[in-house]
Amino acid sequence: MTTHLVGTGSESAAQRFAAAWILALRITRLNLRARLEYRAEFLLTVLTGLVWQTSILVFASVLLVRFPGMGGWTSPQVLLIASMRMVSHALFILLFGRVLWITGLVQLGSIEAFLLRPLPVYRQVQLSMFSVNAIGDLLVAATLTTMAVTRFDLPWTPARVALLLAGLLGGLLVEAAVHTAISAFGLHLGGTVYWSNWTEELMATFGNYPLNILPKVAQAALTYVLPIAFLAYLPASLVTGQTQGRAVPGLVVALIPLVGLGAFVASRLFWNASLRRFQGVSG
Amino acid sequence: MSTATAAPDGRRTRPWAHLLVGRVTPLGEVLAGGRVATKALQIAVAVFLSVVLWRALYVGTSSQAGLDREQAVTYAVLGTVLVSTRFSASWLNGDTVLQRMQQGTILFWFLRPMSARRYYFVRGLGELGYAQVWLAVTVLVCLPLGVIQEPDPAMLPVFVVSLLLGNAIFYELNLVLDLLCFWTVMNQSAVQIMFFVQTLLSGGFAPLWFFPDWFRTVSLLLPFQGTLNVPVSIYVGRLPASQIAGSLALQVGWVVGLWLFNRWLWERASRRVTVQGG
Repeated sequence: MTTHLVGTGSESAAQRFAAAWILALRITRLNLRARLEYRAEFLLTVLTGLVWQTSILVFASVLLVRFPGMGGWTSPQVLLIASMRMVSHALFILLFGRVLWITGLVQLGSIEAFLLRPLPVYRQVQLSMFSVNAIGDLLVAATLTTMAVTRFDLPWTPARVALLLAGLLGGLLVEAAVHTAISAFGLHLGGTVYWSNWTEELMATFGNYPLNILPKVAQAALTYVLPIAFLAYLPASLVTGQTQGRAVPGLVVALIPLVGLGAFVASRLFWNASLRRFQGVSG
Repeated sequence: MSTATAAPDGRRTRPWAHLLVGRVTPLGEVLAGGRVATKALQIAVAVFLSVVLWRALYVGTSSQAGLDREQAVTYAVLGTVLVSTRFSASWLNGDTVLQRMQQGTILFWFLRPMSARRYYFVRGLGELGYAQVWLAVTVLVCLPLGVIQEPDPAMLPVFVVSLLLGNAIFYELNLVLDLLCFWTVMNQSAVQIMFFVQTLLSGGFAPLWFFPDWFRTVSLLLPFQGTLNVPVSIYVGRLPASQIAGSLALQVGWVVGLWLFNRWLWERASRRVTVQGG
């Protein structure tokens, strides 16, 4: 049996789309097998995701216990923010997480090889390895979401569930957009890894709380400069109906999936433009 | 009396010349375009956000777990700076044990006139020294602005000693992971796990005083709290005077214990250098 990796030009768009996904899944399966070659490292990487998310969770729990009633939000509602951020982050790592390794790929000279192959470079970056830590992230995220959903103090109506799902999608796209934009710089500057690590830390630290507890200037910075508010706080405000001190109009919050999609498309265009100027830094 | 010794090729070198290797990381950071400005901006933003977060949390209360607002803010600021500066640029500079193994250049660590152990130590000294410069600058900027509280002058020398011991524990803990790489070949995940565990159990995410008793008891049994919680708690005046001597002794104990363990590991590691590339 032969598989046609490159289109002959006569297939429909649907066939090409399906072929691209089949190829992506096959490469992902191979990547997973490659990571499984180092069994201990594989398990440790799963553990990395678990430990990282758990440590953030412990931090958030400690603050919740010591300082209840943050910004008018009840503890189950704050828990919902934390769980939404974890789910969208875990999905980001699973689907787009390789952009965080862009400087490493540039150092290894992988981008030059990607440019020679008949697949979009961004897609090849995403298929360059399997993010094993996403498994750990998803495990913690699923556990936390179960806790948050069962302890939630408002009824789960279909509308509220739809808002939750839309918020998760928006958060995922916004995070992907931010890191894709940063990785566009990573194609040229090795030091970009500082920025992506730092941004990830800020998102992990400040993405779990109702940001209306912060002064207006900090809230504005975390909304319009680094859009951490869009990851979970604003979507959760829609689910919970908590609008006290919210700095963003309700209409914008309601359109978060579209905002996220727009931001992601813009970041991809920026990434492509950056790639056209790629010169390579490796030997 | 001459302090110079003869190198194998007949050149004369000073015994302290090895210490110059410690300049590599600071010089690399200073000379690489924009890294210092980047770090300064990142620390400034992280400190600003820590301050506004902790002040906001204390709006409805004056004291929690024995820490008043100023103590909590000071703890958070010092913790933020220590966490964000201690983990160095070794990876970016391609000089971690893992990268050297994958490239095959780990071999050179054992072929130089300077032993691998001393090279690693001096590099670590330079990296941690560089981190302390950032800490000192942050304190010197934040103190006049009233962002953090002034330390008790009598406790300042104790804080400095405890900070030095904390850095020594931090160095030895990371050395354990790097040396285990000689057996496990990969250590990326272990390093990341260590970072998260170390940050959490040292008080890097939130002051350990806020955690439940069982959590603090567990952290007391581990070396991590000695890297951050002890020195910072001394600075903010939260550690009772009666417990300071014991905490310092515990720090010394961890330094000595980890040093002995690493000495044993170094001897075995140097007999089994594995390279993957080259």
